[in-house]
Amino acid sequence: MISSLSPQPLIKPNTGTTLSPIPHVQNQRFKLASHVCPSELLSIRKRPGSACAATTQHRRYLLFPAEEEEEEREVKFTSDAPALAEELQRESMPRHVAVIMDGNRRWAHLRGLPVGSGYEAGVKSLKTLVELCCKWGIRVLTVFAFSSDNWFRPEVEVEFLMSLLESGVKEEKESFIRERIRISVIGDTSKLPKRLEELVINVVETTKNNTRFQLIVAVSYSGQYDLVQACQRIAMKVKDGLIEPNDVSESLIEQELETNCTEFPYPDLLIRTSGELRISNFMLWQLAYTELFFSQSLWPDFGEAEFLEALKSFQQRRRHYGSGGVSSEFANSCYVVYIELFFAQSPRPDFSEAEFLES
Amino acid sequence: MDFRDTMQKVYSWACQIGNLGLWIIWLLIHFAVDLWYFALHIACAIESYLISSGILKRYKALDIDKLRYLAIVIESEEAYHIPAVIQLLQWLVDIGVKHVCLYDAEGILKKSKESILGKLNNATLFEEAGESNLLLDHKHITLEFASFPDGKEAVAKAANLLFMKYVKLGGSGKIQEEKIFTEAHMSEALRAVGCKGPEPDLLLVYGPVRCHLGFPAWRIRYTEIV
Repeated sequence: MISSLSPQPLIKPNTGTTLSPIPHVQNQRFKLASHVCPSELLSIRKRPGSACAATTQHRRYLLFPAEEEEEEREVKFTSDAPALAEELQRESMPRHVAVIMDGNRRWAHLRGLPVGSGYEAGVKSLKTLVELCCKWGIRVLTVFAFSSDNWFRPEVEVEFLMSLLESGVKEEKESFIRERIRISVIGDTSKLPKRLEELVINVVETTKNNTRFQLIVAVSYSGQYDLVQACQRIAMKVKDGLIEPNDVSESLIEQELETNCTEFPYPDLLIRTSGELRISNFMLWQLAYTELFFSQSLWPDFGEAEFLEALKSFQQRRRHYGSGGVSSEFANSCYVVYIELFFAQSPRPDFSEAEFLES
Repeated sequence: MDFRDTMQKVYSWACQIGNLGLWIIWLLIHFAVDLWYFALHIACAIESYLISSGILKRYKALDIDKLRYLAIVIESEEAYHIPAVIQLLQWLVDIGVKHVCLYDAEGILKKSKESILGKLNNATLFEEAGESNLLLDHKHITLEFASFPDGKEAVAKAANLLFMKYVKLGGSGKIQEEKIFTEAHMSEALRAVGCKGPEPDLLLVYGPVRCHLGFPAWRIRYTEIV
């Protein structure tokens, strides 16, 4: 009987405190940093965050932006050398970060705003994140913009999302070209409106030779769809006699996945916002060894501080991986099972409802 | 002028005393909050110890009905500690969890499954358990053992199965392809190659890195990962 060892959390919060038996343990684990990185070389302006109140006027403003509101319109980059936050180590930075941008609708609902405002605020968060990734030397960012399951949402909302995607891509196309950012889109683009599909093809083609940074946008994507389409592609090769059915292996499947459009197809870090602890059918195959970070903040509130916290957590974990002495951690962490099961409130959701209502 | 000077001095003293007072109040509040959290942590530690040692059985009142299938991922180095794994499983049996999938990348738990099953009462393999048995006995638990080959390799095998079927059917046109290569067909093919386990509701990960280490990805679309 292990009696002298105090329970230690599986996921150690940055404060090093243990879990306490109160609901919403995650709030203690994922303490939000209350400061913005003090690096003077960073030129990112602090996001408005919760003060951002998008209204219908704001929506019009996004489509026809005023020149004086440059901080909210264009992706800003400096041509200085990347200035890393003091807490981070350059050699341990992830090369590929994936993000599930969850919580836009909840964000709008909490503020009494229409759902569209939440999505618009989410677009700003995405721009901030792209800027930060470029500055901090992260080479690839994959964002889960629209899931296959999201097609079941109300038609009005889906149309709004499609138009937001279209306007966002059009507005930023020039800055992507200027800043040498490569755009890739993964997912079943045949389901997208024709105009958006053509725009996407055009942008992907135009930016395909850019090498500074790659933004992969997952639209109408699901992990299972990715695997199935990889199998379909291989089936075509089998049909054409290029490969034998028995020659199909894991590596062959990996090559045919849509995420193979990048030099680093496997994310090092996955961030999901809004406190949900699921990967929701996102990049199932690719996430086997990806560090999972679940942030409590809603996506429109996810800014530099929260991103720093995710990266610090990633770097701390990476430093400990492979070191000895983990056996006592396992023994201690067995105690935690009770507490975690105590508050294991969420069942596996019925995907037709919970996924739609989770925002 | 003297009166004015005096008043100014009194005012500055009063300000200093006021600031000192506010600072002391702030320290006291800070101390009280720290003391509260310290007491909370101690209470948590004591409670965890009492629960683990079996003295306090708070888990009896746990509503575990929502947890239909639990998966546990253990890092391979820690998987060698079979007694700790058995202890964990015994706790899960006490709580009332019915179906557990144990996973480690290198298959160490798979190799030790006989000894694990031997040490646990009322535990059967998931593949052997019939549905009728599971509902009767509260203390019964079914175990599934999985390792890395049950993940990606299994998908490759299932894909091979589908390709063989596709080749047999001739693959004459596009319609034929679409009928074979759907998510439902992949699920069926995975079951046919031996990966029959359902999708877990909750996945607990024990290890230095917070990732699922190759747990069969097809099954964790909507699984809560802790």
